[in-house]
Amino acid sequence: MTAVRPLPGSELCVHCGFCLQACPTYLTLDDENDSPRGRIVLMKALAAGTLDPADDAVGLHLDQCLGCRACETACPSGVPYGHLLEDTRAALAAHRPGTWIERLVLFTFANPAPMWVAMWFARMARAVGLSRVLLRAPGRLGVAMATLEATRRPQGSPTTANHSAPAASTPVRENVAVLTGCVMEGLLAPVNRATERVLAYNGYQLRAAPTQRCCGALHAHAGDRDTARLLARANIEAFDVSDAQYIAVNSAGCGAAMKDYAHLLADDAAWRDRATAFSARVRDVSELLAAAGPHPAQTATPGRVAVDHPCHLVHGQRLSSAPAKVLGAVHGLDSDELPDAAQCCGSAGLYSLAQPDLSRQILSPKIDGIVASGARTVVTGNPGCMMHIGAGLLRAGSDVAVRHPVELLDAAYTAQRAAPSAAIEVSR
Amino acid sequence: MFYRVRACDRSTAVGPDDGCAASCRYNSFVDPLATSLATTLAGIVGTRHVTTRAVELLVYENDGLPGYHKRPRMMVSPGTRDEAIAVVRALAAADTPFVARGAGTGLSGGALADGIVLVGMHRMRRIIAIDPVAMTATVEPGVVNATLSRAALPHGLHYAPDPSSQTACTIGGNVAENAGGPHCLKYGVTLNHVAAATVALPDGELIVLEAPRNDDIGYDLLGAFVGSEGCFGLAVDVTVRLTQNPARICTMLADFVTVDGAAEAVSAIIAAGIVPAALELIDAGTIAAVEASIYAAGYPTDAAAALIIEVDGPVAGLDDDVAAIKAICSESGARTVRTATNPAERARLWQGRKKAFGAMGRVAANLAVQDAVVPRTKLAPILRAIAEIGERHGIRVCNVFHAGDGNLHPNIPYNGDDADESARVHAACKEIMELCIAEGGTITGEHGVGLDKLPYMDALFSPDSLDAMCRLRDAFDPARRANPGKVVPVHRCREWMAAPGARK
Repeated sequence: MTAVRPLPGSELCVHCGFCLQACPTYLTLDDENDSPRGRIVLMKALAAGTLDPADDAVGLHLDQCLGCRACETACPSGVPYGHLLEDTRAALAAHRPGTWIERLVLFTFANPAPMWVAMWFARMARAVGLSRVLLRAPGRLGVAMATLEATRRPQGSPTTANHSAPAASTPVRENVAVLTGCVMEGLLAPVNRATERVLAYNGYQLRAAPTQRCCGALHAHAGDRDTARLLARANIEAFDVSDAQYIAVNSAGCGAAMKDYAHLLADDAAWRDRATAFSARVRDVSELLAAAGPHPAQTATPGRVAVDHPCHLVHGQRLSSAPAKVLGAVHGLDSDELPDAAQCCGSAGLYSLAQPDLSRQILSPKIDGIVASGARTVVTGNPGCMMHIGAGLLRAGSDVAVRHPVELLDAAYTAQRAAPSAAIEVSR
Repeated sequence: MFYRVRACDRSTAVGPDDGCAASCRYNSFVDPLATSLATTLAGIVGTRHVTTRAVELLVYENDGLPGYHKRPRMMVSPGTRDEAIAVVRALAAADTPFVARGAGTGLSGGALADGIVLVGMHRMRRIIAIDPVAMTATVEPGVVNATLSRAALPHGLHYAPDPSSQTACTIGGNVAENAGGPHCLKYGVTLNHVAAATVALPDGELIVLEAPRNDDIGYDLLGAFVGSEGCFGLAVDVTVRLTQNPARICTMLADFVTVDGAAEAVSAIIAAGIVPAALELIDAGTIAAVEASIYAAGYPTDAAAALIIEVDGPVAGLDDDVAAIKAICSESGARTVRTATNPAERARLWQGRKKAFGAMGRVAANLAVQDAVVPRTKLAPILRAIAEIGERHGIRVCNVFHAGDGNLHPNIPYNGDDADESARVHAACKEIMELCIAEGGTITGEHGVGLDKLPYMDALFSPDSLDAMCRLRDAFDPARRANPGKVVPVHRCREWMAAPGARK
């Protein structure tokens, strides 16, 4: 048994149960051990030293948590569930090292060279069509290949900056540096370019932060706080020298993690203040665009768009309306939220790898909802969700495309440049 | 005389915590006596839905009522009606007592199983049928209250009883506790909305109970079953009445500088012959907690109390009621009366009220949620007396309650690790209950007796009344295996103690 360990925030829980129906794993597994308030009971007992941290059952229920934080937006008492989970996983990490595959992924993300190699091989597999051929292969291979295939962008996607200068009569806005990220830059680079173009077109001044690293979200969630802190310090340094007022993030998971650097480094006297100031400068790209009131443009591909909310945007960052403001600038789209838009898709970082069966079960109603919506495109602002939902659609034989909201805006700007006569009046 | 108290959305009180969760070391110990029963039950519901390990039973040690912990011997969760019936029969064959549990949001400790089997009904969440013409829905007991209303919405209908925990609590639990809620002022409690139930009696026999119709002769057994707190058997399906959505709804927020003024307005509104859909009072302490939460509703933080007043119905005449209510509030000293102008604003006003109990965690780690009913005309002096009791014991009482029907919920946030403070809260709760009884009220309005209100039962009922309750229970559960030790304090029940097989 371990000694008594404080678990700040756990005292806020009064066991009211209002979180139960918000929890995807409770609704899937029907076990209160897999609900937020149940896991809080377990986490409190672990912290109090009355539960054995090496007990498999305890580990199982905590491992099965997605960390989606939907319970936080349901909780009247403001229990910081995400922090409780990270605290507990950090304490458990000593007793329960992750599987080799989890450790390999975490190592790769924390180190640029292996990351570059991994992404190069992934791009090659995609380029030669391996991911397309194997996307229905059994087991983890099929899931991995479908996930990779979901990152494919159609030939002829805009890759050059044809509207990277600000639109006419656009005021000069703040300097921003974009977090290019690991998966985004490795497999979804067109999303990063689109992000840069739409920010520039709307008046933001782009700055480079070449020494930036992985945000460390995966490490913090998995309980590897030392690595998460190392990466956080590297990023604070990288962005502080970039002369950027805001750090623009197009990956909701990374944005939530970077807004949480203040908490992650709260016990580090040398970095605490810098981390707090840094976190206050982090913005999701949709937040920046919504603040600017994005230039409208007419889409060349009108149709229905289903909107899904990444958990770490709607629950982690409490941003539910910003993506709609981005899409609102794309005229000709008929966009509507999915009925379960605020419910996790099951991607959750390493979760789809660590808990493939449960992850698929959680994804299943989301896929059914997308197909039933009749939409041709789903938008969601997080690479994990884009890939997981995309993989689910591919494996279900659906040709619905998954896109980042800025991709649709970028495509509309591109179309407008190509046919300026179709440009719509800017009335703001 | 015997009468059944109206019971449950949720209730609480500070009670004697046996401290089990804090002091026990949970390990992999498996009770050998339980294993054969567990095997039988696993054969019915599947291994995954039988929990016998102490570490995994920890989360089932309490319901929505902090302060009580009872460790069940095992947890079994049937997924279908047939499984539920088979489970009850297996438990009967093994002569094993059991406790049914919905979502575990009750506030009287009613769903705690002390060393016996807990039957979780939360997996049975199928809406079997909605009949929009007959305006009924037949549901499995694990269906969540708000989910049913959502499913009825396309038909222009809803399920009227709306306990504050409606986003989590189940219809089965509502039936067991005869749940109330803000809108029960106009629409009635669960009892008024249950049309039929199929019940597995504790001996395994299946009976269908139906609400009396005008031409019915005989006893209202369904009426006895609703609110029986799980002591009469297990409902395996329930047919409830659905209610037409009102043509128009007007929700007001009246803001008072004194609690007295708000309480007087409540009485005056009802006395004027108006029946609001809901009439709720929230005081300054509760407003502060809610306004700090994600459910902040725009309540006035500098007010001593606010009333949420809702009227609904046909368009004709509604404006007259609204005008009359505004006038009464102003006469009683309201600073402002604000009207929600759109559905979103209305929903926000209600979310704040309904999540208030959960928001109290911001004030202190533990919470005593009391539940009592007093004559509405005495609200002002009783609220003053409750505040005085709190002051005398050095604790803070926050009120948020169904003022229209005099159903008080004094909430007392406290630090459970402080033994002295806990004792003071316990003493204050006892005094509040005694006060309510002395003023002609009763000890629970909707949360049920469960474990928490047991100590007050013999202050309210004569030994003859308690005996009558025991005899009624014997008609349903002669072996006394369903939720034993709840509702009636058996040590006060002479016939119970005299009966063969009584555990003395």
